[in-house]
Amino acid sequence: MATAARTATRLDTAEHELRRAFLAEVEGIPGGRRISRCLQCGTCTGSCPVSYAMDLSPRELIARFRAGDVRSILASRTIWLCASCYACTVRCPAGIKVTDIVYALKRMALARGVRPARYPTFAVAESFVHQVETHGRNNEPRFMLGFFRRAGFRRALGVAPMALRLLLKGRIGLKASRIRAVADLRKIMRRAARMEVRVEHDLAGGTAPVGYGVVGARPPRPMPAAAARVPR
Amino acid sequence: MSDAKIGVYVCHCGTNIAATVDVAAVARFAATRPRVAVARDYKFMCSQPGQERIQKDIARLGLTRVVVAACSPQMHELTFRTACQEAGLNGYLCQIANIREHCSWIHADREAATAKAKALVAAAASRVAHHVPLEVTYAPLNPATMIVGAGIAGIQAALELAETGRDVYLVERDSTIGGKMAKLDKTFPTLDCSACILTPKMVSVSHRKNVHLLTLAEVERVSGTFGAFTVRVRRRARYVTDACTACGACAKVCPVTVPSPFDELLGERTAIHKAFAQAVPNAYVIEKQERPPCMEACPLHQEAAGYVALIGKRKFKEAARLIRQRNPLASVCGRVCYHPCEDECNRGLVEQPVAIQHLKRFALDWARAHGVTLAPPPVAARREERVAIIGSGPAGLVAANDLALKGYQVTVFEQWAQLGGLLATGIPAFRLPRELLEEEIAWIRALGVRLETGVRFGEQITLETLRRDGFRAVFLATGRRDLVRHDLPGLELAGVISGSEFLRNVNLGTDPHPLGRVVVVGGGTTAVDAARAALRLGSPVTLLYRRTRAEMPAMRGEVDDAVAEGVAVRYLTSPVEVLGAAGRVTGLRCVAMRLAGPDASGRRRPMPVPGSEQTIPCDLVVMAVSQRADVASLVEDGGFARTGWRPVAADPETTQTAQPDVFAGGDVVAGPSTVVAAMGYGRRAAEAMDKYLSGRPLTDFTTHLVRPRNLARENFRPHSYAPRYADTPRAPREPMPRREARERAADFGEVGTGYTEEQAVREAQRCLHCGVCVECRECERVCEPEAVAHAMTDVVEDIPVGQVLLATGYQLFDARRAGQYGYGRLPDVYQGLEFERMISSAGPTAGRVLTRSGRPPRAIAILHCVGSRDENYHRYCSRVCCMYALKFAHLVKDRTDAEVYQFYIDMRAYGKGFEEFYGRVLEEGANVIRGKAAEVVAARGPLAEYGALVVRCEDTLIGAFREVPVDMVVLCAAMEPQADAERLKRIFTISQSPDGFFLERHPKLDPTATFTDGIYIAGCCQGPKDIPDTVAQASGAAARMMGMIARGQVAMDPVRASIVAERCSGCRICNNLCPYAAIAFDEARRVSVVEQALCKGCGTCVAACPAGAIEGAGFTDEQIFAELEGLLAV
Repeated sequence: MATAARTATRLDTAEHELRRAFLAEVEGIPGGRRISRCLQCGTCTGSCPVSYAMDLSPRELIARFRAGDVRSILASRTIWLCASCYACTVRCPAGIKVTDIVYALKRMALARGVRPARYPTFAVAESFVHQVETHGRNNEPRFMLGFFRRAGFRRALGVAPMALRLLLKGRIGLKASRIRAVADLRKIMRRAARMEVRVEHDLAGGTAPVGYGVVGARPPRPMPAAAARVPR
Repeated sequence: MSDAKIGVYVCHCGTNIAATVDVAAVARFAATRPRVAVARDYKFMCSQPGQERIQKDIARLGLTRVVVAACSPQMHELTFRTACQEAGLNGYLCQIANIREHCSWIHADREAATAKAKALVAAAASRVAHHVPLEVTYAPLNPATMIVGAGIAGIQAALELAETGRDVYLVERDSTIGGKMAKLDKTFPTLDCSACILTPKMVSVSHRKNVHLLTLAEVERVSGTFGAFTVRVRRRARYVTDACTACGACAKVCPVTVPSPFDELLGERTAIHKAFAQAVPNAYVIEKQERPPCMEACPLHQEAAGYVALIGKRKFKEAARLIRQRNPLASVCGRVCYHPCEDECNRGLVEQPVAIQHLKRFALDWARAHGVTLAPPPVAARREERVAIIGSGPAGLVAANDLALKGYQVTVFEQWAQLGGLLATGIPAFRLPRELLEEEIAWIRALGVRLETGVRFGEQITLETLRRDGFRAVFLATGRRDLVRHDLPGLELAGVISGSEFLRNVNLGTDPHPLGRVVVVGGGTTAVDAARAALRLGSPVTLLYRRTRAEMPAMRGEVDDAVAEGVAVRYLTSPVEVLGAAGRVTGLRCVAMRLAGPDASGRRRPMPVPGSEQTIPCDLVVMAVSQRADVASLVEDGGFARTGWRPVAADPETTQTAQPDVFAGGDVVAGPSTVVAAMGYGRRAAEAMDKYLSGRPLTDFTTHLVRPRNLARENFRPHSYAPRYADTPRAPREPMPRREARERAADFGEVGTGYTEEQAVREAQRCLHCGVCVECRECERVCEPEAVAHAMTDVVEDIPVGQVLLATGYQLFDARRAGQYGYGRLPDVYQGLEFERMISSAGPTAGRVLTRSGRPPRAIAILHCVGSRDENYHRYCSRVCCMYALKFAHLVKDRTDAEVYQFYIDMRAYGKGFEEFYGRVLEEGANVIRGKAAEVVAARGPLAEYGALVVRCEDTLIGAFREVPVDMVVLCAAMEPQADAERLKRIFTISQSPDGFFLERHPKLDPTATFTDGIYIAGCCQGPKDIPDTVAQASGAAARMMGMIARGQVAMDPVRASIVAERCSGCRICNNLCPYAAIAFDEARRVSVVEQALCKGCGTCVAACPAGAIEGAGFTDEQIFAELEGLLAV
C-alpha cells in the first residue's frame, strides 16, 4: 500500500483546511462523529470485497485522517473503488458509517479536483452523469467515448476489436437516443442537486456550495438566496 | 421557634463551589437573615476542622439550628447530623442547602449562581427554624440471609455467611449448584482444574447444617423491608425424592435422550439425569417440560408417548405392561379407539402423526403371542360397600375395574346376553375380535366384579330395589340406542331396520340369513360397519349418502376398505320412500342431491334435484342415521332431566346427578361419543363414587379431564432441545399390513394383521418425545429406594430473611446474532463454553478436540470480541475473553497438533499473572493476528486443502487482507446479563446500568451494595469479571452482611408519615397508594394507621390525603411553606 504517511507535528495550512472540510462533511452524516471511536480493528478491510485492489485499506483511511494526512486519502484509489456494498458499515464494531464517509471523501475530491494518478475510475462516474444530463439516458458507446476522452484514448485500443464486432452485429450504434423531455429531467436533477446542497462551514473559500448527488455535473451556478430555499 | 439561633456554614468544596459561587457573599447575606446568629464560609466543611467549627459554635453561641450549604445531602447529610448530635444538638435540627449539584456544578454565570445559592440558603434557614427534634429508632434484623444463584459467587458467599451460624438459604435455578464455573476445564492463568477447586466448595456448602440448598428454585416475590424481608420461592418439582442414592439405574432404562445443557448441547443425556458426575445435591432429576400432547388428549390419560418410546427401544413387554396398568380395555382400544392422541400428535406437524393406536395393538398382541401375563395393578384393601353399575359398555367396565381396584364390591347389570355394551353389540367382529373383548372382561371379572346379564334397568331392577338390596352407589352407564324417527313413507314395512339394531342382530347372531339385497342409508361409522357386515353375510350392498365423500363422518380409511371390499357407494343420494309389497320391502325410491350453502353444523346442505328420482330394488333397508340415548326407563324411574342431546343431567366434573348416590356418565350423559370418552367418564365416576362413599368432598380430582388446548399448534418444537418442525427429518408413517379385500370380505376376521416388530420399532422411533419425559415409568420400576415420584408438584415457600445477596451470574451472547461468523450455520464454529466442554476430560468427547466429522483439526481460530466491544451488541469489554482465549491456545498446543490463531483487537492481560501467561502462550507458538475477524466462510478453491473454514480479516499490523484456513473456529462470545435480569430487578426493586447488569451503589467505593437497603450483589450479575474478582466480591458482600448480622438491628429514619386520627375521615385513599403497603385500616376506630416499621417516608400518602390528616415528619406543611417563603424572599 502506497505512499508513506507524512509525519508532520503541525498541520500545514492546506492540510488544516482539508481537515476542517472533512470534519464538516462528516458532521453532516448521522452518527458521523463516531469516526473518532475507531478501534483500528480492520473489520472494514476484512469485510470489503474490493479491498484487495485498494492502495489504502478502509481502516488506513481513518488512520491517515488521525495522523493528519487527508491529502493522501483524497488522492487514493480507495475512495473510487468502493462498491457501496455497506458490509463495512454493517459490521463496524464502533458504528462508523464507513461507506458514507467514503462518499464524503469523493465529494471533497471532486470539489477540489483531486484525482488519483493514472487511475481514472472517477471518469466513469463523470461520463455516466454527463450522458444522463444530455440525453436523459445512458448511451453506452457515447458513455465509453466520454470515458476515454477523460481517461485517455490509449485505453480504447484494448477493447476496440470487441467494439467493432458489436458494431457490425448491430448490438451497438453511434446514434444517440434521447428521452423526450430531457429538459424536464434536467430540471428534476437540478432540483435534486439543490436539495442536497450542503454549505461547508467556515471554510477558507467562504460559503461556496459543494454539490453532490450529481457527480460530474458542472458546478452549480451561485443561486439567489430565494431560489436556494427548498420549497416544501 | 422565634428564639431559634441559627448557624449557617457555607462550604467552598475546594473550587467545586467557590469557583462559581461567591461563597463569602453568600455567608454575608446569610448573616442578615432572621434568627441567624452566625454565618461562616470555609474551604471544606466536611473536614475535621469544618465539623469542629460547627460544634464549637453550638457550644459557645448556644446555636439551636444549623444550616450547611454544601454538596448533596446524599453525600454528607449524615456527616453533619452526626457532628451536631455529638455537640448535643439533635441531628434533625440540621438542614443541608445543596449549592453544589444544584448550583455550582450546573451553572457558569457566577453572579446568577451566587444569587441562586443565596436563595437556597435562605430557604434552608427559613425552614430549619420550624424543625423539631426527631429520634432514630431501631428494628430487629433477621439474621437469616438468602443468596440467589449458586455459582462460584453464591457458593463463596454462602460459605462465608455460614460461619455466622445463622440460616443461609442458597437458591439455585438449576438442578445442581456450581454455575458456569463447573463447566470450565482449566482456569487462567494458573491452569488449575476448575472442577478440582470448585467441587470441594460445592460439597462443603452442602454439608453445612445451616446452609439450606434450594435447587430448581426461583424467587417470585419479595415483601417487607431491610431486616425483615419475606421472599417467596417456587421450588419446581424434581420428580425424585431425597431417597435418591444417585445409583444411576434409572438413567440406564430411560428411553429418551436429549442434548445435555450442561455439555452445551454437545453431549447427550437421558430425561432422568444428573447434570454432571459431581453435581450437588447428588441426586437425579426428571426433566418434564410440557406434558406430551397425546397423553393430555387421552380421556384415560394413557401414557401414549411412554409406551411408544419403550417400543422404540424394543421393550415390548414393558410397553404392554405400562398400557395395561392404566387401561383395562387395552386391546379394545388398540382396535377401535378414535385415538384423539393421534389428532394432537406433534409429529402431525412434521408429516403424519405417530400411529399410536397401531403401536398399542402391537404391544398387546406381542405380549399375548409371547405369553406375557399382564398383571393388573394391586387391589386396595377390601371395602364392604356395594356399588351397582348399570350397563357393561366401556364406561361401565372401566368404572367397575377402577372401583374393584379400590376394594369395592361391584356388580354390573347388563340387559343383553352379551357383555361389553356397544363394544359387543355395535362393533362388528372384523373390527374387534370377540375373544379380545372377552379376555379383557375376564380380567375385570377376575378382580371380583360380578357381571349379571339379561337384567334390564327399569324392569328387573330400579333405583329403589338397588338401594333396598344394599347398593350404596349407582353408576348409570346405559349408553345409547337409536330411536330417531325418520318421516319417510314406508318405514313401517318389514325389512326396514336401524343401523345399530342391525349390527346388534348381526353381532348377537339373531338376524336371518341370507339378507337379500341390502341398502344402507347413512355416512357414519355405523352405516359403514353395517354395510361391511352385510357384505360379509353374502349380500350385495349399496350405501347411500346424501352428501359427498368429503363430508362423510366415517373414517376415510374405513370407507376405502368398504369400497375395496365391494360395497357400492352412491353419494349425493337420499331416500324419499321405502317401497313395499305385502308388507315387505321391495325397493327404495331415491332422489339425487346437490350441495348448497353450509348449514348450522358447517357442512354443506344437500338439496334435492327435481326430477332425478329413481328406484333401487332391495330386500332390506338399514337406516343408519342419527342415534339418541334410550332413556325412557330412566326418566320414568329417576325423574332425571333431559336436555337436548344430553339425555341425563349429571355434573360433567363429578358425574353426580341430582340424587347424590346416583352417578352417570358415558353416552347416556354426553350424547353419542367415542369409546375412549366413555371410558374416561367411567374412570372419573369411579373416583367420584370413591370420594362419595368415603365421605370426602367431590373436589380435587386426580383423574384426567381432557381440556381443549391449542398449544401443540403454536409451539414450533416438541421440546426446547428439538429441532423445529420444519427442520425435523421426514419419516413417513408405517402402513398397517392388511388382508386382501376379497379375502377379508368373505369372513369376519380382522382387516389389519398388525405391525411386525421391525415395523413397530420404526414407527415408534418417529415419536418426537414431546416434553422430554414421556412418563413411561421405567425409572419408577427400577428405582430400588422408590425415589421416583412422577406426581410431584411445585412447592411455593415464603422464607423470612433479613438480607439478600444476588449472585445470578451472566449468560453468553447468542453468537447467531453476529451472522458473519457462521455460528449455528457452519458445523465447526463453536462458542467458548462449548469448546470448554469439548476440551474437558469429563466432557462429551472426553477431552478430545474433534470436528463434527470426528477428525482432529489441523488449525483452530479463536476470535476475540464476538458481541463485546461492539456498538451493534455490547459496548463493554467482557474482560475474561482475552485470557481464556490464551488458555485455549495453550490447551490446544498442549493436547493437539493443531495450529492456533488468535484474532484480537487489543490483548488485555491486566490481572495478576496474566501478562506472564500471555508471554508463555506466545512462546508456545500460538499465532496472534491483530485484527478483528471480519467473517468466517466455508473454504473453497485452493484454501480448502488446508482447512474446511476460512477466517477473513485484515492483519492490521502489516496492513494486509488475510484469509486463514482452519478446521475449527472458537468464538469468544460476550458475557451478557441473564435474560431475566430485568424480572429480578423488579422483584428486588434494584437498578440496572445501561448495559443491563445490576447497578452497584457506587462504582468504586461500594461495589457490593445496591440502592435498596439490604440487597447486595456479587459476581457477574454486576458486570463481567473473572473468578478471582467474583470470589473477592462475594466475600466482600458477605462481610457487609455479616456486619449487619453482628449489629442485629436496622436503624430506621424518623422521616416517616403518621396519621392524625382525629382528622382522618377513613376514606382509605392512602391505603392502596402506599408503595410499601405500610398503611392499614383500623376497622375498630375507622381510621387508617401507618405501620411505622414499613414506612419509607416517601410522602405519597401525605400529598394524597384529602383531609390533610397525614403528616410527614421532617416534611410538615409548615416546614415546606417556610422553605418556599425563604426561597422567594430573595
